[in-house]
Amino acid sequence: MKRTIPLAICLIMGVVMMIQFFIPHPISLEFNSTILNWIIVLFAFALVLAIGNLIRHHSIKIRKRKHDWPYSIVTLTSMAAMAIIGLFWGIEADSLFQRIYLNIFAPLSATMFALLAYYMASAAYRAFRARSLEATLLLAAAFIVMVGFMPFGQYISPRLPAFAEWIMRYPNMAAQRGIIIGVAFGAIATALKIILGIERSWLGGKE
Amino acid sequence: MKSRDVLHLSVLTHFPFWLQSSVTFLLIAALIAPPTNVRAIDRPNDAGTAIIITWDLSPDDPVIEKYVVFRMTADDTIYQNIGFTKNGNTSFEDDDVEDGIEYTYMISAVRNSEMFNSEPSAVVKSGPQIFHLGRTNILICIIIFTMLLTIFVIQARKGRNLFIRRIPGLEAVDEAVGRATEMGKPIMYIPGLGNIDWTATIASMNILGEVSRKIAQYDTPLIVPNRWSVVYTVAKEVVKEAFVSEGRPDKFKEDYVRYLTEAQFGYAAAVNGIMLREKPATNFFIGRFWAESLIMAETGAQTGAIQIAGTDSVLQLPFFVTACDYTLIGEELYAASAYLSREPLLLGSLKAQDYGKLIVLAILFVVTLLSFLRIDLLSLLEIQ
Amino acid sequence: MKWYDRITQIDRRIIYLLLTLFIILPLFIPFKIPQNVMPQTQQLFDFVDSIPPGDEVVLLALDYTPQTAPECHPMAIALLKHCFARKVPVIGVSFDPQGPGLAVEAITSVIREVNENARTREDSVIYGTDCVYLGWKSGRVAALLQMGESVPQVFPVDYYGTPIDSLPLMLRVGNYKDVAIAINIASAAYPDDWIRYPQSRYGVKVGAGLTAVMAPKYYPFVQTGQLSGMMSGMKGAAEYEHLIVKHGYTDDSGTAETGMNSQSMIHILIIVFIVLGNIGYFFSRRGVKQ
Repeated sequence: MKRTIPLAICLIMGVVMMIQFFIPHPISLEFNSTILNWIIVLFAFALVLAIGNLIRHHSIKIRKRKHDWPYSIVTLTSMAAMAIIGLFWGIEADSLFQRIYLNIFAPLSATMFALLAYYMASAAYRAFRARSLEATLLLAAAFIVMVGFMPFGQYISPRLPAFAEWIMRYPNMAAQRGIIIGVAFGAIATALKIILGIERSWLGGKE
Repeated sequence: MKSRDVLHLSVLTHFPFWLQSSVTFLLIAALIAPPTNVRAIDRPNDAGTAIIITWDLSPDDPVIEKYVVFRMTADDTIYQNIGFTKNGNTSFEDDDVEDGIEYTYMISAVRNSEMFNSEPSAVVKSGPQIFHLGRTNILICIIIFTMLLTIFVIQARKGRNLFIRRIPGLEAVDEAVGRATEMGKPIMYIPGLGNIDWTATIASMNILGEVSRKIAQYDTPLIVPNRWSVVYTVAKEVVKEAFVSEGRPDKFKEDYVRYLTEAQFGYAAAVNGIMLREKPATNFFIGRFWAESLIMAETGAQTGAIQIAGTDSVLQLPFFVTACDYTLIGEELYAASAYLSREPLLLGSLKAQDYGKLIVLAILFVVTLLSFLRIDLLSLLEIQ
Repeated sequence: MKWYDRITQIDRRIIYLLLTLFIILPLFIPFKIPQNVMPQTQQLFDFVDSIPPGDEVVLLALDYTPQTAPECHPMAIALLKHCFARKVPVIGVSFDPQGPGLAVEAITSVIREVNENARTREDSVIYGTDCVYLGWKSGRVAALLQMGESVPQVFPVDYYGTPIDSLPLMLRVGNYKDVAIAINIASAAYPDDWIRYPQSRYGVKVGAGLTAVMAPKYYPFVQTGQLSGMMSGMKGAAEYEHLIVKHGYTDDSGTAETGMNSQSMIHILIIVFIVLGNIGYFFSRRGVKQ
C-alpha cells in the first residue's frame, strides 16, 4: 500500500499531464495553471523542511562543538540577518538587502566563479596527456582552437582562426548533437519508466 | 523690379515644377491598388480568442506606408480600426476577439493619409480547439516509443537475456563504496544543481536509490548536499527507502541528506568546504551541472577521492572527464539505474531506447538525403 | 627524481601563482595585440553600422549577471558607443532579475562619456530622446510575445518610473516593427527565446552577445541566419571594441581589449604547461620502455 499509492498518483498525473499537452482548450490550460500553482505551494512547503534541516544540522554542530563549528555560527547568523533585513526593510532596488546582495554576495559569487580559471589550468596540465591516438587527436584539436582563438593566432597562419572555428562548428557540434540525441531518448525513457511504474529505484527499488 | 513682378516671375518659373509634382502625386494616388484576397481564419491550435488575417500584397506595396486592419461584427454599422502593420507584411493577428462572434475584416493600404480599401473578407468566428494538430508528430513518436518499450519489457519479463555493454563508471560503484568503507570515510553524492523538473535530477534520484542500497549494506556514512528544497525532500525519502528496503532502517541518519543553499556558487563553495573538512573517500557527481562542475570536481581530485561523474550537460562533460576517474556520458546517466539494479524490466527499456535512436538516425539520414534533392521535409519534424 | 618526472608533477600552487601573475601583469603593463575579427562579430558590427540614423531603434536586452560581467559588460558598452556615435536610438530592457544593476551602469556611464566630449546637441545623448531603459520584467516569454503587439503595454513606465508616453523616443516605438535589431547580451540561454519568438514570429533581426562557454551552441543559429551576428566571450567584446575604434566611432578601446591581453597570456601559459607535461610524459614513457 505504501508503494501502490505513490505509484498510482505518479501514473495518473503523468498520463493526465501528457494528455493535457495535446489539448489547447481553455479548460486544459486552466487545469495546467492549477497544477503549476500546486507546485509552487509544494515548493514553499519543501523550503520550510529544507531550512529546518539547515538550522538543525548547524545547531547540532555548534552544540556538540564539532570540527570547524564557528563556521556554522556564520551560516546561521547570515541567514537570520538576511531574512530579517529583507522582511522588515524590504528588498527594493536601493534597500539594505540589495546593497548587501550586490556588494557582498555578488563579489563572493564572482570570486568562486573566477576560481574556475585556476582549476582549468591545473586540470588541463594534469589531464591533457597524449596517452593514446584518440587523446593525441583531442590534444591537437584543443591546441588549434586555443591558438586559433587568440588574437595572434592569425600571425602563425592566417587560416588558423578559420580552422579553429571550423572545428567548433562541425566536428564539435556533430559530437555534441550525437550526445544530445542520446540524452533526449534517455530522458523520454526515464519519464515513461517512472510514469508506468517500471522504474522504482526512487521508492527503494523492487518490492 | 517691383516686388509684385518678382512674385509673378517666381510663380511662373516654379509653375512647371508644381504642376509636375501635383501630377505625379495624382498619378500615384490614382495608381495605388488595395491589397487583394483578404482571408480571415480562426488561429489554429489555440484556446480561442484569436483570428489570423492574411492578404496578397498590393502591387504598389513599395510606395505604401502601412496596411491598416479594420474589423466589423454583425452588430457594427461601420468598420473599426484595430491596428496596422508595415508594408511588405501579409498577415496580422487579431487576439482581441470574442469566441463565437462573427467578424469581417478589411485591409487598407495607406499612403499620404489616403486609404485604399480591399474587399472585405468572408465571415469568420474564433474558437478553442480540442487537439493541437502541430503536435501530431510528437504524439506519433510517443506512441511508437511506448510500443517499443512495451515489446521489450514483455520480452524481458519472459526471461529473454538482454545484452548490455560494460559501463566502467558503473562497474566502479562497488569498488568506490568498498574503498570508502575500508578507509572509514564518508561517501559524498552530489545530485546535481538542477531542480526536480530536470530529467537528469530524476535519473540521479534513481541512481542515488541504488547507491544507497549498496551503502546500507556497510557502515559507511553518506553525505548528500542539496541545492533545491524539493530535491532535498525527495533525496531524503529515496535514501531512507533504500535503507528500509535493505532491512537497515536503524542505520539511516537524518544528517545524511542536507540542504545547503540555492545560490549556485554558494553551493559550490559549501560542497568544497565539506570535501576539505570531511574528506570523503568517494565523490559522485550525478545530475545536471553548470559552470561550478570543475570547481567541485577539481577540489575532489585534490583531496584524493575516487570520483564518478554522470551528466547530460554537454558543456560540462569535458571538465568531468579531466577531473574524475569515471564519467557517465549523456545517456549512460539514464541507463545507470537499469545497469546497477540489473532488473530485467529496466534492461528491456534500454533496448527500446536503442531502437528509438536507430529510427531517429534513419529519419535524419533520409531527410538529409532528400534535402540534397531539394525536397524539404523538415517542416514535418517541427514542433509547435 | 629525473627532470622529465619533475615537469610532469609541477606543484599546483606554482601553476596558480604563475597564473595570477599572468593575469595581473598585462593589466599594469599595457600592450596591444592586433585583433583578428571573427566573421560573426563582423556581421553584427556591419548590421548595426548599416542602420539608418534616427529611424529605427536598437533594442538591447541586457541579461547578464555580475559573475559574467567581465565578458558581457564590455559588449554592452561597445554596442552603446557604436549606436550613439551613429545616432541610432537605443531601448534597453532586462528579463534577468540581476540585469538592471549592470544595465543602468552601462547606459549611464556611456551617456556621461559621450556627453562629456559633446560640443553640440547633435553630438550629445539625451535620455528619453536618444535612449531609454525600460527596466526588468518577469515572465520573459509572455513579455517577448506581447512586445510584438505593443511595447508600452509591457512597459507602461521606464526603469525610473517615468510614464512611457512622456518619453519622446517611446512615442515613435510601438512594437517590433520599429526595431532594426534586438541584441540580447546574456549569460544564460535567453537568446533561445529571442530566436523562438521575436525572430520566428515577428521577423525581428536578432543578435547576441554571449559568454565564451555558451557560444558553440549558437554557431548554427548564425549559420542559418536566425542570428544576425554574435559576440562570443571576451574575445567577441574585444573584437567589437576594436571595430568601433577602427571605424573612428571612439578613441577609447574598452576593458575587453585589456582583458584579452590577460586571457591570451594565460592561454599561452596553459599551452606551455600542457606541452611541458607532454614532453615529460613522453620521456618518462621512453625511460620506462628502456
